[in-house]
Amino acid sequence: MKKSRLQKKLVRRQLLLVAGIVLLLAHQHTARAQAADGHPADRALDAATLLKPPADSWPMYHGTYSGQRHSKLAQITPANIYQLTLAWAFDTRQTAEIKSTPIIFNGILYVTTPDNVWALDARSANVIWHYAYPPNQGLHIGHRGVALYKDSLYFTTPDAHLLRLDARDGTVKWNVVVADVKRGYWTTLAPLIVRDHVMVGTSGDFDNLPGMLKSFDPETGEEQWTFYSTLPRESPDAFSGGATGGNMWITGTYDRQLNLVYFGTGNPTPVLAAQDRPGDNPWTCSIVALNPDTGKLAWGFQASPHDTHDWDAVEVPVLVDGTFKGVQRKMLMQASRNGYFFVLDRTTGKSLLTTTFAAANWSAGLDQDGRPIPNPAKDPARDGRLIAPDEGGATNYRSPSFDARTGLFLVSARDSYGVYFSKPEDGEYGWAGADYGVYGKAMLKAIDYQTGKARWTHDLGGGWASAGVLTTDSGLAFTGDSVGNVLALRTSDGVTLWHSHIGDVGNSPITYELDGRQYVLVASGGTLYAWALPEAPRKGTRVDSMHAKRLNGKELR
Amino acid sequence: MTSPDSPAKIGCAKFKAKQTQRFLVTFLLSRPLLPFRDSRVFLLSIGLAVAFCNLSLARQQSAPPSAPQAAPAEQAQKGQSIFAAQCAFCHGRDAGGGETGPDLTSSELVEKDVNGNEIAPVVRSGRIDKGMPPFSLSDADLAAVVAFIHVQKTKMDAHAGRRRTVLAEDLLTGNTEEGKQYFNGAGGCAKCHSPSGDLAGVASRFRGLALLERMLYPWGRRASPSSSPATVTVTLPSGETVSGKLAYRDEFVIALVDTSGWYRSWFKSNVKFTVNNPLEAHGEQLGKYTDETMHNVLAYLQTLR
Repeated sequence: MKKSRLQKKLVRRQLLLVAGIVLLLAHQHTARAQAADGHPADRALDAATLLKPPADSWPMYHGTYSGQRHSKLAQITPANIYQLTLAWAFDTRQTAEIKSTPIIFNGILYVTTPDNVWALDARSANVIWHYAYPPNQGLHIGHRGVALYKDSLYFTTPDAHLLRLDARDGTVKWNVVVADVKRGYWTTLAPLIVRDHVMVGTSGDFDNLPGMLKSFDPETGEEQWTFYSTLPRESPDAFSGGATGGNMWITGTYDRQLNLVYFGTGNPTPVLAAQDRPGDNPWTCSIVALNPDTGKLAWGFQASPHDTHDWDAVEVPVLVDGTFKGVQRKMLMQASRNGYFFVLDRTTGKSLLTTTFAAANWSAGLDQDGRPIPNPAKDPARDGRLIAPDEGGATNYRSPSFDARTGLFLVSARDSYGVYFSKPEDGEYGWAGADYGVYGKAMLKAIDYQTGKARWTHDLGGGWASAGVLTTDSGLAFTGDSVGNVLALRTSDGVTLWHSHIGDVGNSPITYELDGRQYVLVASGGTLYAWALPEAPRKGTRVDSMHAKRLNGKELR
Repeated sequence: MTSPDSPAKIGCAKFKAKQTQRFLVTFLLSRPLLPFRDSRVFLLSIGLAVAFCNLSLARQQSAPPSAPQAAPAEQAQKGQSIFAAQCAFCHGRDAGGGETGPDLTSSELVEKDVNGNEIAPVVRSGRIDKGMPPFSLSDADLAAVVAFIHVQKTKMDAHAGRRRTVLAEDLLTGNTEEGKQYFNGAGGCAKCHSPSGDLAGVASRFRGLALLERMLYPWGRRASPSSSPATVTVTLPSGETVSGKLAYRDEFVIALVDTSGWYRSWFKSNVKFTVNNPLEAHGEQLGKYTDETMHNVLAYLQTLR
């Protein structure tokens, strides 16, 4: 009996050992499968992954929900960036400029222009598939990109439709109407996806249209809710003093803990004629905080109350957790079209700081809530008013970047002047006037968010630079100037460390790591460029003997 | 190009010509043959005359029925949908002006345009210094857009008061005398400009909004290095200096066109240079004007015809 008990013990131990080895092997196998070359189906871009994007991805328009457009990647540094070289270029072969931010997940890049989506192999830059939406009458002014969720892409069209495409092959799963293009709406933005909400904002400045942010079910395309920044003028519930507009045409940001999404809203309509829409005109030219599950407004802050200069406040509402004057705060920062830089408490919407970051001559100071007070003497007039900034603004759609290490908010800015006209004959519909930019000087501003003052300013060489900004943990800032150069600056002091003359950069840069190599992507014209440090030289790279002998018998090494 | 006859007019002419033909033939044949040497010559000449009449009528009928001011409706409609997608953001759906782009229906260039000869080059090359990108449209699409623009212009011309544009009359609010004083005094304009010199007749060369824009900043919305009147002097490592019109400048390269007309460039790190840009004063002045002084100076300039 002793013997059999011992035998049982041994057998049990052996079984346990075998089981352990099997489990170990199985674990290693799955671990390898989840590595970069694993099956894409095993690693889906779900809600949890969107909250914590892996290093080999840039899975949404801003990179992360905070909108900081900042990367932890540090392979490319101020010390080695002089070696940065072209890894590949993808030419769309179309005249449309790439204004979109490409996104990448599982080694596949998705980039857009109006009506078009390309899926590229990020290793070879080869086109996997290309989807072209049929010709349509919506405004083709530009497109900002697609949103990815699990196995589907969400794509807005110039005629204000939202498409769900299969991310594997570009086939259309469904196509829903966001707004009526015949009434004057169009769409350009990359949707914001939070859990099972695909959020799309409209555009539409030439008609007196309510601004809408709609949430759609990612599976079925059903509308879940609509947030109206303004209502039709005749509506009994209208709250905007007669204004319409407030279009939300730039992708918002998201705070998971507060469960709030933040969007900037556009200018009111009629744009330049304001006699018939007295008051602040909420929620035009505002930052609004919404519950993503219901679309209900938690708070709103107007960057331009009663705007008469087309200064959309849609610029990225950047979310920063940090100290403000010694107190830990959940903050929201926006460098707005109208020349003002705002720091808000994003829990309550209360102003912490308001300063100007570019030439601005239109306000009569700040009110007690930290909002600029519009000066009626600077409203558009029959004989014209000289206004800074011009309609293009102190900044615009180009993404800013926040670098926590330096506490700097980097924004592509302009000092600019324009002349604004409006008279009663221009009516009360759409633009209702005319404005003409006369001067612009582009610069990159690094704003210290604690003071609102620029720590450094980098001249961008001309009147208008179209590039956004990206910062990385190694202390680099990537952008483009207004005369055709992509630039890398040292974030701390704005000194140029690297450049390449590829033509005006028209989108906002991204970065990701793939197979251990960090890439930075920018677009110029219809071409997407990928930059990286050089690969290691091939082994045994020497001039071969045939070539050596040809050169006057002198051997080359 | 003369304006065409309307179909009705053509028909009328045809009828009259046919009538005349019939009359001639009947008249001539009803009379004893005139003493031509050869009746065949006579008949031949009649035949030629008739043929000639018919030929000239035929030429009239096949003349293009559309001149710049009367495009076929379908072409303009096609132009409208292309315009809506590509142009409307900046120029407005009705071509009357939109976000940043001017009112095309009151444009002098459109006024002069005949079948796209002025408009097409602007669309194809863009106006980079003013922020308009180039567009590559097929010839047919471009013609359609041109047709649409002219249709819109005709419409807007009929409704003078409804245009969203700036009329010269709107800009007559300044005080001429105060403007002259500002010009010679606080404005500092007289340092570089003179009413009998470079500004003589300026109000004949530029009118209304164009004069105001030019007064404020003469080189368009984008102050690009290549479009400025700046000059530069470059000092080479040898000590030699080269001067000329500034042709290009970015962070890395400085370039000029020298006195012999050749373009020359250097990496900034290799040379020293100084730039003289008279336009800088205009840029600075924008921050110094009040709306009152701006209108006053404009009023003064408007007298320099």
